[in-house]
Amino acid sequence: MVILQEIIHYIYLIMSGFFGLLLVRALFKRTTRTNLVYDIVYAYAVIPFLLRALRIR
Amino acid sequence: MSASNIRKLAFLVLFLVLAGFASAEFKGLRYFKEKVVVSEAFTEKRMLSDWLPNIKGTWGDTPVYFYDSGKPGATVLIYGGAHPYEPAGTIAVYVIMENLQLSNGRFILIPRADMSASTEGILGNAYPQYLHIPTSWGQQQYRIGDRETALIDQWPDPFTYVHYPSKQNLAYQDLRNFNRTFPGRADGTLTERMSFAFMELIRNEKVDLVIDFHEASLMYPVVDTYVTHQRAEDIAMMAAMYCQLEMPMKCEVSPKGLRGLTHREIGDYSDALCVLIETAEPFIDRVVGRVTEQLMIDGKDEFLERASEKGLLYTSYDINDAPTIDHRVARLLTASLELIKMYDQFYPDKAVEFWYPRFTDVKTNGLGSYLHDPSAADPSRVFEN
Repeated sequence: MVILQEIIHYIYLIMSGFFGLLLVRALFKRTTRTNLVYDIVYAYAVIPFLLRALRIR
Repeated sequence: MSASNIRKLAFLVLFLVLAGFASAEFKGLRYFKEKVVVSEAFTEKRMLSDWLPNIKGTWGDTPVYFYDSGKPGATVLIYGGAHPYEPAGTIAVYVIMENLQLSNGRFILIPRADMSASTEGILGNAYPQYLHIPTSWGQQQYRIGDRETALIDQWPDPFTYVHYPSKQNLAYQDLRNFNRTFPGRADGTLTERMSFAFMELIRNEKVDLVIDFHEASLMYPVVDTYVTHQRAEDIAMMAAMYCQLEMPMKCEVSPKGLRGLTHREIGDYSDALCVLIETAEPFIDRVVGRVTEQLMIDGKDEFLERASEKGLLYTSYDINDAPTIDHRVARLLTASLELIKMYDQFYPDKAVEFWYPRFTDVKTNGLGSYLHDPSAADPSRVFEN
């Protein structure tokens, strides 16, 4: 059960990294919501995913 | 590259730089080591994983300090830091570790019960990361942590937390709450395993009395209170009466229907008597103003005073005589001391003879006078947590 929990834990960490990369992609390649405010939102929103994927926070 | 992409790249780099600064702060807290100078009565340091090897190498493992007189007497386990954002508990254990004199019996002291929770701050609350206690030789620095085990050590949370073994449904985040996962299980989540390791320590070391240090918000009914398992009710009631000589103290019996708490499960799943002690912390109430280190130290908050005037608090509060960190640590010291003395009266064949500072000592001399300078101490007596 401990091993299973560890596997789930690491799957979630990988998912964090994946969604962080999706946000970076959306920052540069999106067709809607293209104004400056959304650039800031997408760039800012990467931080929590990055920190979690790197097991910093 | 288009101007638009350069702008986006600039924002990304800017936020990555900010993330870098944040990471440095988070890492600083995660790896900061608190120093303690143990008293002459100290005999041995072990790790919690000695009682459950599968937490070895995780952030759930924590140092366990033994003070053994070698003479007959009860074994008393005192721990703080089950909820690290209630730092008076941890500091009170450090004060005991640095000043304990022991003639009979044995003490087991654990300053950081949930080590993982002590290594990160509370998400979104803009809490300070550290508090500093002034002493004659400088400042002693301690971490202010979170309430629950860090998410980077135990994640994800479940949709609903089903407590083991009662199957009672509890709030999802309580699966990371050290004081909701007792008696724990050997193959459970990290926090459940930490709780199980505590139970194994208590059972294997034949602990007679367990004392769990906490702090509580002033708007919480169980404040300045003993919460006791029913088998320790007489001892806690009598100790509360003796406490009145120095400070007000209430006593409540642990509800049988509320599972996972130390005072319920340790009492039910071991032979030890268990009492939890809450002291008022004017820092964690939702009504307080800015949560700064100063508030943690001096306890002065105008909004709490207003709440007090409106009769919304469960303990007295006067901004001119607010519960400072010295006051709160002092309360825990006398509350634990009276419990052990009362245990001695109930079980004279297992009496413990000991000394550590009490409420009046700390209020008179200051908390800092009971903390020793690690740089001036014998290195063999200095430990890091």
